[in-house]
Parts: sequence; structure tokens; C-alpha cells
Amino acid sequence: MRHKTDILDVAARKLAPYMFVFGLYLVTYGDLSPGGGFQGGVVIASGIILLAIAKSVDAVEELIPLRRFAVAETTTFGLLLAVGIGGIVAGAGFLADFIGRGAIGPLPAARFVYALNILIGAKVAAGASLICMHLFGEER
Amino acid sequence: MKRAVEIAAAAVVAVFLILALAGDHPTESPIREYIVAHGVDDTGAVNLVASIYLGYRAFDTLGETIVLLIAVSGVMFLVKRSKPPADRDGDL
Repeated sequence: MRHKTDILDVAARKLAPYMFVFGLYLVTYGDLSPGGGFQGGVVIASGIILLAIAKSVDAVEELIPLRRFAVAETTTFGLLLAVGIGGIVAGAGFLADFIGRGAIGPLPAARFVYALNILIGAKVAAGASLICMHLFGEER
Repeated sequence: MKRAVEIAAAAVVAVFLILALAGDHPTESPIREYIVAHGVDDTGAVNLVASIYLGYRAFDTLGETIVLLIAVSGVMFLVKRSKPPADRDGDL
């Protein structure tokens, strides 16, 4: 794998962690402020994609095997369905809130929305980066 | 001639867009009133957008995630990795 410039290398490696943190913030505060699972997940994925473009797909794959992205994608989808079916089991209906509400405080009050945001954030981050990894990895 | 047709088509599109922009945009609607009044109480999410897409319309969101899952499956099916990863760039 040919070496790209040092500037690109350093900038990407310094920037990516902040992108991960910002993406996690968007996901976890999605019920309180603009953001949410989809948007935060895409920001996390863009951090992974930045590493893949600046370094190489292989370097990212060494960090996190692509197989794990695929497992995360399908597992979170299964968990989403499980949460939906949990609503039926609890007698509230498919994907209805069955967890209940907490008090406004340090913990999220809208527990159901919070949980769904986390699941969707993980799913979108895994899915979007998996698509790009495969497309980047094609031209080798 | 072709140029004139293109200009005419562009003009028609422009007129439609201008009419759409100039039209009446009702900001008052019953569903909007309902969500503003009850959204936080119904779902607990202070962000009303989140209360809509994960509270009232969580089923739509599930559909969107299925779309993403199918997109990933399609890419993984169509793009075969040409060779196993041999040359590694090393430290990350």
C-alpha cells in the first residue's frame, strides 16, 4: 500500500477520535437536542471512512475486522426487532414504549427513545462504514 | 431548435418552482398543534423530531433501517473482495 502524505496521515488520525466523540454525542443526546441515531451514526461512520481514505482499508480492518461491522449491523437489527416485539409481549403494541419514563435528571428521561437511538446509531455507523469499506476495498 | 426547446423546458420548470414558492404555506395544522402540545408528554423526548421518528412513527424508522440493511447486503453481494488482505499499512 503506497504511503500518502504525512499531513493527511497525521490530520486524519488526530481528527478521527473527535469525530467519534461528536457522533457519540449526537447519538446519546438525540432525545434532547438536534441529532439522533441516524445522524450520529453517519458521523461515526464518516470518522471510520476518513481513516480508511487517509490510511487504507487494510489499516482500518486491522483495527476492527470488517466481519465485526457486519455482525454489529445484523445484531443491532435483530435487537431493534426484539425491542419491537418486546412491546407486543408487554401488551403495548409493536415498537410501542414499554420501558416507561424516568425523571428529568442526569439519566435520560425518555428511556425508550434513548435505547432506540443507541441501537440505530450503532446500526447506521456499522452499515454506512461497511458499505464504504467494501467499495474502497474493491479497487485493489 | 434544440436550444429553444431546452430553454422552454427550463422556463416551464422555473414557473412551477416560483409558483410553488409563492403559494400559500399553511403553518397551522391539527397534527402540528397536537405534537407541539403533547409530544413531550407522550414520548418523553424533549427533541420533538426524535419524539416523532422514534415515538409516533417508530415503525417508519424500522423500515428505514431495513432499507440500510438491504443496501449493505446488496453491496456485499455485488462487491467481491478481489484478494485477501496481504499488504498491511501497519500502525493506526
